[in-house]
Amino acid sequence: MNAIDGTDRHVRDSDNSPPPSLLTVILDTNPHAWALLSDTLPLSKAVANLLVFINAHLSFNHANQVAVIASHIQRAQWLYPTPHPPRSSSSPEENGTSTPTPPSATKYHRFAIIERELQDNLSRVISQTTAADLTSSTTTQIAGALSIALSHISRATQLSSPNDSSGISLDSTGPTLSNPTDTPTDPADGTPRARRSPLTSRILIVSVSGDLAAQYIPVMNSIFAAQRQRVPLDVLKLAGDTVFLQQAADATGGVYIAPSSPSARAGLLQYLMMGFLPDARARAALVMPGGGEVDFRAACFCHRRVVDVGFVCSVCLSIFCEPLEEGECLTCGTRLSLGAAVAAKPVVVPRPKKKKKRKVGDITGTSTPMSAGTPGP
Amino acid sequence: MNASSDTMTANPQALEVLQGFPGTKLEQLYRQPSTALAVFRRMLPHLAKTIVMAMLYMPNPFLASDLDAWIRPDAVAEKEQALLVLTSLHIMSTSLQAQGPRAYILGKAFAKSLRQALTGSGEHKSFGVPCRPPGNDVVDVKTLDDHARRQWEDILYYMVGSTTVGVEGQSHISDATKSLLELGNFVDKRGRITQTGFTFLLQEVNAQVWSLLIVYLNRAPELLKMDSVDILSFIFMLGSLELGQGYSTANLSSTQKQMLDDLGDFGIIYRPSLKTPIFYPTRLATTLTSDASALHSSAAAPTPTFDTGLAGGSGAASKGYIIVETNYRLYAYTESMLQISVLALFTRLTMLFPNMVTGRLTKTSVQRAIAQGITADQIISYLAAHAHPQMLKSTPVLPPTVVDQIRLWQIEGDRMTTTSGYMMIEFATEAEYRDTVEYAETVGLLVWKSDAKRCFFVNRIEQIRSFMSNRRAARA
Amino acid sequence: MVKALKGVLVQCDPSIKAILLKIDADSGNEYIIEDLDEETLFVKESKVASLKEKLKVTLRETVRENTDSDSE
Repeated sequence: MNAIDGTDRHVRDSDNSPPPSLLTVILDTNPHAWALLSDTLPLSKAVANLLVFINAHLSFNHANQVAVIASHIQRAQWLYPTPHPPRSSSSPEENGTSTPTPPSATKYHRFAIIERELQDNLSRVISQTTAADLTSSTTTQIAGALSIALSHISRATQLSSPNDSSGISLDSTGPTLSNPTDTPTDPADGTPRARRSPLTSRILIVSVSGDLAAQYIPVMNSIFAAQRQRVPLDVLKLAGDTVFLQQAADATGGVYIAPSSPSARAGLLQYLMMGFLPDARARAALVMPGGGEVDFRAACFCHRRVVDVGFVCSVCLSIFCEPLEEGECLTCGTRLSLGAAVAAKPVVVPRPKKKKKRKVGDITGTSTPMSAGTPGP
Repeated sequence: MNASSDTMTANPQALEVLQGFPGTKLEQLYRQPSTALAVFRRMLPHLAKTIVMAMLYMPNPFLASDLDAWIRPDAVAEKEQALLVLTSLHIMSTSLQAQGPRAYILGKAFAKSLRQALTGSGEHKSFGVPCRPPGNDVVDVKTLDDHARRQWEDILYYMVGSTTVGVEGQSHISDATKSLLELGNFVDKRGRITQTGFTFLLQEVNAQVWSLLIVYLNRAPELLKMDSVDILSFIFMLGSLELGQGYSTANLSSTQKQMLDDLGDFGIIYRPSLKTPIFYPTRLATTLTSDASALHSSAAAPTPTFDTGLAGGSGAASKGYIIVETNYRLYAYTESMLQISVLALFTRLTMLFPNMVTGRLTKTSVQRAIAQGITADQIISYLAAHAHPQMLKSTPVLPPTVVDQIRLWQIEGDRMTTTSGYMMIEFATEAEYRDTVEYAETVGLLVWKSDAKRCFFVNRIEQIRSFMSNRRAARA
Repeated sequence: MVKALKGVLVQCDPSIKAILLKIDADSGNEYIIEDLDEETLFVKESKVASLKEKLKVTLRETVRENTDSDSE
């Protein structure tokens, strides 16, 4: 009788506590975009909702961590944790909150710290924005913020890996690509999970600005890095139209929600609590909002224009919106002979729209999301 | 089999206590935001937390059909488990509207308190009133840790003292604590350790603290005329306090003030003097509602600075001291008589050096421990939890041969498996039998069934009972 | 009407079950509630510990266990 055998008697633990999870929030603080939204959803209200969401995340598990990065108009900036201890860098603030306040009796201490630091840092970011910055650009540094978030996650993963006592080795193999779903700690060896379980991470991008085509390449590179680290990119799109963030959520298995109407935006907190709060483990048990149709268009490498149909270098797969003058690829310098294809405008064979999208999606989903119709013969 | 019920976490124990509370008492308890937060974090299954958070700011009741649509079909067992815990803790209930589809609502008191905890609003002072000591004699974290460790180890010494020569006389615990240990059946009338005591000894510190507090909670109301709601909400409040911060005793209830003495004896709180109205929670207190193992991970406290904030969840592994080899030899780098005598419970120790002991896990030594009521899983998890950092580098931590052998020693001579539970018989119709047995199978409660005899065996009955009454209601 | 009976389900080899049935018969049926199938028995909860003990005694008398020595 097989039931009586020492080897298959695992500890049937009713607890099996989920691994700690790191939530990295990238808050798009583009002043232009928030100005447009100020009637329906002012930044202050959005931040307040975000704080409740962050607190909810932290209350799931004592070991849960959080990081917040502002993707501002001219740079990406840490909001929490503050890169340097606040004591040393504390300059007299205009709102005078620099005096160390004792913890409040009505607030959980950890929540209070995060709230204070985040609001201090955010007001610093805003007050340091000059008029010149505002006129020079209208977009947001999402690529920079993504890179910071990914390096933070990579570091946090290293620090929480089981062998942290042996010192952190930042060797060429890069961060441990631990997949939370396929490397659960074996319950049989009775290991304390709090110490051994890997950190699961995810990134939430709260985006309000459109037109990220200028940063197409760095954003795409960040997406691939996230895909490789198995970090889902969740996107909450409050305004604007960005093709690439939807692709980001799609490629990394994240959630993409775009509440478009003002009344939907008023329910921001409910979107956050229901759509974005579940961590990797809870998502395994839930039906997460699907992306619907994903716009897989790419931006050309020459003018950063979003193109439906374009020209692709056959060597390096760079995308161009129009035939190259010298017939030389701008990225890799290969001489390409375009032949007869250039003479006529590329013609797309008319097909049912849906079918075409799916077909493009299949190609991009597997390898690279650079899609462009090749000129037909 | 005992092992399945003795998990190394305090969750089940504390959860059981709460589930035994009547609804009105729970309602009263949930009025404290710190309690609502602690119950949320410590007592609920993961999916239940997700459901609660989704419902927290929902303006309308959550339709049962929507919930079913939200949760994947293959996670039905988890969903049922989550709903069961939520309803038994009176956190969630079925909406009272007689008409219309079935829907769930959160308990008013719980929802309000949890919202207050998340937003930090309200006039409650449930997260402790911080206060500065008169003068500048601030108590540092090291003092607190020393106090906690000394007091707690004294209790353990007292228990171990009865079995090991050379440990007696080191323990100075109060009479109140002694009688509490006796009430909890950890030691018998003559101060000798019992089976429950051995189990207690091998638990993690955090689980030990909970075990003791639960005995306290069960006994104090009748013995000392204390209010159990007051006791519990104070325990939960302690879990949300900040290490190294002093708190005022001014706004505590009389029950809670009375508790301060006892908790000081356990090492859970520290009071510089009995005159000043101030107390400091130790690490034993601040980790009560977290999973971080209490005294072992001294770096686990999440601090706001950039670097240590990152290091947050990962405990310092430097405290482990046991090395187990594949040939069952065991080396323990320790000088503590307490640790040595715990090891002696299930190891044949051979040599004692100034900074280490060596020994061997043998069939006799392990079976002796098992005869005393210690389970194989407890031994294994004790070894794993205290493994030397060198051992932690390998996965699994302990040599699999040793782990398997310890388990085999336990079940040797154990030629049958026993499962306690309920036999369901006398189903009126084939359909009723089939539906119920199918449900039992999906939620993972089914142990055995016989279609011919139309009966089946489950290890827990609450869910089956509610399923059957729902089914009957749906038919009616 | 459906009934739920509290008890312990014992699963074992047919040979062990035979011994258990004998123990039960010798003691005047004070252990077993129902004989379910050839590997399964339904037993009174309060009696499980003593049933286990009796089984151990019986096995020790009949089966010869090879005892390994404790030497290094």
